[in-house]
Amino acid sequence: MSEKSVPSIELSQVVRTYGAGGPEEVRALRGVDLTIPPGEFVSVAGPSGCGKTTLLNLLGLLDSPTSGEVRWDSESVGQKSDRARARLRLEGVGFIFQRFYLLPTLTARENVELPMRALRVPRGERTRRASQLLEEVGLQGRERAFPHQLSGGEEQRVAVARALANRPGLLLADEPTGELDSGNTQAILSLLERVRQDRNASLVVVTHNPDVARRARRHLTMRDGAVVEDVREA
Amino acid sequence: MMGWGRGRSLRHSRLQLVLAVAAIATAVALPVVLVSVGGGVSAHELANLQNAGYQIVVSAAGLHGITHSHNYTDQILSIPGVTAASPVLSVTIDAFTHSGGTPVLAEGVIPDQFYPTLGPTESGLFPSPLPLGDPTDDVHFAHGTYSGSATYDVLVSTPYAAAHSVSVGQQLVLSPVANRSLGTTYNVTGTFGVPPTVLGPTGAFAVLVPLSDLQAMTGYAGGSAVAPDAVDTIEVAATGSIATNPSALNDLRNEVQALFPYYGVSSLTQEAQQLQSASGVLTGFYLALSSVGLSVGLLFLALVLLRRVEADRRSIGIRRALGISGRSIAGEIVWNGATLALMGAAAGVIGGYLIVEALAAWTSSAVQEAAQLAVFDPVILGELVAGVVGLSLLAGAVATRTALRMPISEALR
Repeated sequence: MSEKSVPSIELSQVVRTYGAGGPEEVRALRGVDLTIPPGEFVSVAGPSGCGKTTLLNLLGLLDSPTSGEVRWDSESVGQKSDRARARLRLEGVGFIFQRFYLLPTLTARENVELPMRALRVPRGERTRRASQLLEEVGLQGRERAFPHQLSGGEEQRVAVARALANRPGLLLADEPTGELDSGNTQAILSLLERVRQDRNASLVVVTHNPDVARRARRHLTMRDGAVVEDVREA
Repeated sequence: MMGWGRGRSLRHSRLQLVLAVAAIATAVALPVVLVSVGGGVSAHELANLQNAGYQIVVSAAGLHGITHSHNYTDQILSIPGVTAASPVLSVTIDAFTHSGGTPVLAEGVIPDQFYPTLGPTESGLFPSPLPLGDPTDDVHFAHGTYSGSATYDVLVSTPYAAAHSVSVGQQLVLSPVANRSLGTTYNVTGTFGVPPTVLGPTGAFAVLVPLSDLQAMTGYAGGSAVAPDAVDTIEVAATGSIATNPSALNDLRNEVQALFPYYGVSSLTQEAQQLQSASGVLTGFYLALSSVGLSVGLLFLALVLLRRVEADRRSIGIRRALGISGRSIAGEIVWNGATLALMGAAAGVIGGYLIVEALAAWTSSAVQEAAQLAVFDPVILGELVAGVVGLSLLAGAVATRTALRMPISEALR
């Protein structure tokens, strides 16, 4: 599987408005400026509804800004076609969603294989890698289980394994340890940290968990659609 | 991203899928029955035409509209390439046996001209030569005076003979009206079989007599109120080289037409073409009629696909979020639709076949006979199935459009 270089990501005066012009207009982001160099571990905190998930969606090209620019390595990517952005997501972004979002008709291993299959990774390699990832998140022996047969914590770990499947340069996680006990939380964080270091990947984590935030080297605090605090540890 | 987990996904909403397949199967079964039975009947009639012993028919507007038929027959026979010309008069008369009378369809023919115009199937049903006395019908006709002696011979069909207990050697009284005392006594000199017919025995005649006898009996020999020497048609047989050559047959038709500009002269080639054309129109009509059912079936399929897209909204959103291309997702939706349509169409073809088989086995009379003639043309059935699957792609496209228009972040909510 080819590995693309990890991009430097830049948000410039990014505004995201939902229902623009309508009676229920919501300004989820209000002119955010942000640069995330390769290999950085960033935690994002803030109250509910402050725009954290919107920020992750824009960083991961799931959404396009209403105004402003999203750049990867200085190239504007926020307004690229759906197809081009899908390709960039597939090759370069790993998502760990708050609600896991596993496909209910696929087994744990098939869920992990899904991004590799889309990238046309040969069957043998993707099976081997999926099994390896499931083992790393502590789910050996659970490869054939369907999501409804897994506990919340197990589903979350499958979601983590899936996010790592294509060896992304940018990992975006929304409360990635919310369903895990402290032991599994530490194991997953160690795995993410190792991936970040091995690949020099960027890791952006929305979390309220101090244990998770403590591992990050940069801490963003958001309020009302804006980054109100941006602290880098030495 | 096709193939994977698709079977499990399809099993998810089994009832919807079964209903969609059933709707399409019902919609497909109808044209299968109509087209196969209609096509079979047409093909049978076409085969009858192509197997007829004559190739050209002279006809006229109105009942018994050809006059001077003996004279015209002689003129036709003088054209090179003509092997037989058989004038035929068909009239309903009354036949009386010792047990009573009954109306029958009688045909008057010139015996040695009639037999050569029979096709291979029909000729086996008649005795040869026809035992009707004067083979040329010249004696009684007597140059249009009808003053010669008649033989008073008659052949009866085997169904009539069986129904009325008539056998060779017995006598039969034939009368133009339902009054035995006005009839003439005929000798039954033979019987003939009735060829299998389509849609009932309406075309079968029961008695065969010399042409001049029937003309004289029914008043079509001539008189102040009717045209002389009248018949309905003159059937013309050509030599083998002409009969099998459409161009030469058309030339011969033109020669016959030149003799009778005021009569209709058609070759069976033309009639076959007209029948084929009519059959094509009918097939189109059947398919158009069935398109209503097909539209309903496909509308149902589109609704099922849309319902599934709605139900799978989040799964589709997840796939898109992971970077799986819209084309791949669209391919899966369209594939699902095409699979359902193919299953429905196949079930419809099988269902239509079974319906026709059931009609052929368990119904009676004309419906059964028509069903037994059904032809399942693989080309037409293939086109039908391909059409259904093609239209299902449209249904899939509608569902795909809905699936891919929704913003990913909204689909994930």
